[in-house]
Amino acid sequence: MAGSALRRLMAEYKQLTLNPPEGIIAGPINEENFFEWEALITGPEGTCFEGGIFTAKLIFPPDYPLSPPKMQFTCEMFHPNIYADGRVCISILHAPGDDPMGYESSAERWSPVQSVEKILLSVVSMLAEPNDESGANVDAAKMWREDRSEFERIAQKLVRKTLGIP
Amino acid sequence: MREAGIMLISTALTCVVIGNAYYQRKQFYPTVVHITKSNPSMTVIYAQGFILAFMINAFLRKIFFGTLRAAELEHLVEKVWYAVTETCLAFTVFRDDFSPKFIALFTLLLFLKSFHWLAEDRVDYMERSPVITWLFHLRVATLLGLLFGINLTMIHYAYNTTATKGPSVQLVFGFEYAILLTVVFNITVKYVLHTIDLQSENPWDNKPVFLLYTELIIGLLKVILYVAFVTLMIKLFTLPLFALRPMYYTMRDFKKAFHDIVMSRRAIRNMNTLYPDATTEELAAADNVCIICREEMVAASKKLPCNHIFHTACLRSWFQRQQTCPTCRLNILRPTPNNAPPRQQNPPQPGPQAPPQPPQAPGGNPPIVPLPPIPVPPPNLTELSEEELRAMEGTLRQAVQARIQTLQRIQLLLDAANAMMNQYQTVAVTANIPVQNSSTSNIDNTLDTSTMAEPTASSTAHASAGITDENSQVKVENIPTPSTSKENTFPSTSKEDGSTFNEFIDLSDLSRTETESSNEQEMLRRRRLQKFSPPPATE
Ligand SMILES: [Zn+2]
Ligand SMILES: [Zn+2]
Repeated sequence: MAGSALRRLMAEYKQLTLNPPEGIIAGPINEENFFEWEALITGPEGTCFEGGIFTAKLIFPPDYPLSPPKMQFTCEMFHPNIYADGRVCISILHAPGDDPMGYESSAERWSPVQSVEKILLSVVSMLAEPNDESGANVDAAKMWREDRSEFERIAQKLVRKTLGIP
Repeated sequence: MREAGIMLISTALTCVVIGNAYYQRKQFYPTVVHITKSNPSMTVIYAQGFILAFMINAFLRKIFFGTLRAAELEHLVEKVWYAVTETCLAFTVFRDDFSPKFIALFTLLLFLKSFHWLAEDRVDYMERSPVITWLFHLRVATLLGLLFGINLTMIHYAYNTTATKGPSVQLVFGFEYAILLTVVFNITVKYVLHTIDLQSENPWDNKPVFLLYTELIIGLLKVILYVAFVTLMIKLFTLPLFALRPMYYTMRDFKKAFHDIVMSRRAIRNMNTLYPDATTEELAAADNVCIICREEMVAASKKLPCNHIFHTACLRSWFQRQQTCPTCRLNILRPTPNNAPPRQQNPPQPGPQAPPQPPQAPGGNPPIVPLPPIPVPPPNLTELSEEELRAMEGTLRQAVQARIQTLQRIQLLLDAANAMMNQYQTVAVTANIPVQNSSTSNIDNTLDTSTMAEPTASSTAHASAGITDENSQVKVENIPTPSTSKENTFPSTSKEDGSTFNEFIDLSDLSRTETESSNEQEMLRRRRLQKFSPPPATE
């Protein structure tokens, strides 16, 4: 019997393919291995990331959905909640108790109720509204607070980069 | 390609060194002596040895693991760094033992360790891979057997050396191989469990339990080994700094495994004994889908105190991680379900509020709902002792509990008042006394009061509405003096009573707005999210 993690991932993949949320595409990189996914996220409208197509990969643990997956952008990113190496730091990707950034509430934490779709939607909303209290990228957080126009300039540059426009 | 180049160069160099020596000495033994006496030649020979060892390692890895996945390679590199730095620390303790033999032994240990890590990753991967080939089984089984044999041999060797020559660096090697032996044991258990799981048609519910217990036992073994090793090292040499980091992690893991087992056992016992199996109707009402595995629930489902339903098996594995409801995060070990009637814990006390007599209507037998006992009113704040007041502030658990308790009392009081009002109105109606009509909606509240299931929203809403609504104003003001109403009229109360009561209303009103505002935030967030997506179909 294939593991329950595999079956749930297959179910989520099917759901995402049949009923894709707007602006998000996600699926296994290779159908032999359902535990490594690739996601394409379009930058939310009306934000400095608008128009960009950002690539990310999701790595699922063998005990998914009991433990959260890890998410990492594979394109260049500059954002208060994304580490320099692309790892995403939002509360939905952490179990309660595991506290890299000292979030207060556990309401938004990982639990089996969450899903790939919810993670990606949270990431979209994170792109739209950074949480500058979590310092995954301290420089970006500082710039977001103090020099918004420069932040937007950098974001726009990244957007062009993702589209292959120099 | 680059590796082949390095290999070629080093082989060529070795050939040159050996050829040169042989050309000078012409015979075997003098050649050997010549090479060992010359430092540059020895360097070349050592380098050759290293490269050869790496080649053999790469070759064996290819045989046993094929191509490594990116994640495996990442783990490997990360762990090698730690292993190398820790061994460099170990060098400092055993400066005197430093020799080519030591380096060779260390390299061998490192290679063996890397095989253990890779084997562990591979076996973990079994759970994710849809197809497990015979080649996989062959490779893993052979490798585990080999590693087991090598570890035993090395431990034996280390033991013999220490026994005959006294404590030396072999102590460290012996210990390292003992730890590796526990790792092999752990991997083997996992491998066997996964294999059994793969053979069966149905998901194997008990596998996570076995895994958890294996982790506990292995953790205990490792802790014992580390403690013994560190004590021995302190006695014989000095504090082994290089062992502290792994020792710390081992102890932490063991503590976590122990904690997990205790908590999950408790949660699972609660689940089996306290929580009912979900009925067919409840299943249908809950969309029939278990939110943990996203599969249909046909049988073997449990209902938690918060009314959320899941597969029993899914819940069991979730409780091994966390002892909360996956949906609403209600703590299963300390459930504070809002439908447990607190009034039973607070028996009515004799006081200024004597239990009111059900009002007797002069002209008939109105349907009288039995009144709930009068709850204890919230304490008068001026009468509270300093300590009790202290207990209400702050964010500590105790303080919050005290506040919640007071709010609950207010809640109860409101409900009781509501129920009483209904009684009076019923009586008044049957007695043909004209009353402004707000009774129909209140009857619903009476029902609520008797169950206490979800009274908060409705009754407080009523109470707060009463502040603005004139009709209900009468009602609200009457509440605190039920005993005066025997004459079937609605006497207005004294000013004090009315005002204190309004204060309480404000309080409960406040708490309501608080929850409401967080709800609003949540709604806002949802809406924001929905901007980017159509609402999900199944939820
Ligand atoms: Zn389930
Ligand atoms: Zn719940």
